Amino acid sequence: MGSWSAIATAVTAAFLASMVEAVEAFTIVLAAATLRGWRPAALGTTAGLGLLAGIVLLLGPLLDRVPIHLLQLTIGILLLLFGMGWLRKAALRAAGVIPLHDEEAIFSAEAAELDEQACRRQKSLHWVAGITALKAVLLEGLEVVFIVIAVGAGRGLLIPASLGALAACAAVLAVGAVVHRPLSRVPENMLKFGVGIMLSAFGVFWTGEGLGVAWPGQDLALLLFAALFLGAGLISSVFARKLSVEFA
Amino acid sequence: MNTMLKDLVSELIGMFVAEKQLTLTVLALVALTGLLVDVAGLDELVGGAILLFGSLTLLVASVCRAARAGGS
Repeated sequence: MGSWSAIATAVTAAFLASMVEAVEAFTIVLAAATLRGWRPAALGTTAGLGLLAGIVLLLGPLLDRVPIHLLQLTIGILLLLFGMGWLRKAALRAAGVIPLHDEEAIFSAEAAELDEQACRRQKSLHWVAGITALKAVLLEGLEVVFIVIAVGAGRGLLIPASLGALAACAAVLAVGAVVHRPLSRVPENMLKFGVGIMLSAFGVFWTGEGLGVAWPGQDLALLLFAALFLGAGLISSVFARKLSVEFA
Repeated sequence: MNTMLKDLVSELIGMFVAEKQLTLTVLALVALTGLLVDVAGLDELVGGAILLFGSLTLLVASVCRAARAGGS
């Protein structure tokens, strides 16, 4: 088990990242439910969660067989790519270079697409709604599974990271059940910025450990890395705003 | 089912390839760090610093490049 700083960072990263993914999945499941009622949407969601559980149960035991340095290096590189991708997109959105994620617009587009699909394929709306919910849960859930494994596996933190992810999904579900509309007030880009910072910090930390680097201060180095990625994200966002005006 | 599998694969690839050039340069940076530490015998901590500051530089460069290209 890692130190408190590693546990706190892993749980926070898993919680925030899962919240982003859960909000995105919820919007699509809600669109499916609005089209054809909650039954097919709930069935699709349950099937998606079942498939995800199967993937975790299948892959989980395999992780124990991978040598720790190889595991840290592989997960570190994947985290670095994933985290920097999120941070890049969040910085570009914050700079106004690309549009912000709009849950209301996604909800409307998804509902229209579902309607159109049902007409085009002449399939039952129940079937289309159920499959759409399943796909949304499976695709967004895969990212949650990766993040939980990535921030948890290298340091025996799988359980705290899983609890962080489950808490986020439960929170989104609870709020969604109450408000019954897309959760457009969640500051998605700020969350993505924060998660991108944490995942990139973890990525550098584990890639380095996988290459044999003994970071000074051990897990505390994560906080320094996060501060540096925060600075780089903010600076790049300022540069991007200026450049987009210059090159417009 | 085929469409779902295709979507699943493209989602998996998309998770790690936000932008091709960023992905390739990060992979090259990790490979270079590994070579410097393992083959050239560079001090691990210096290797770690190259990895850290290299990643930060690549991030800023990628965001600026996208801003110049109008967000692509």
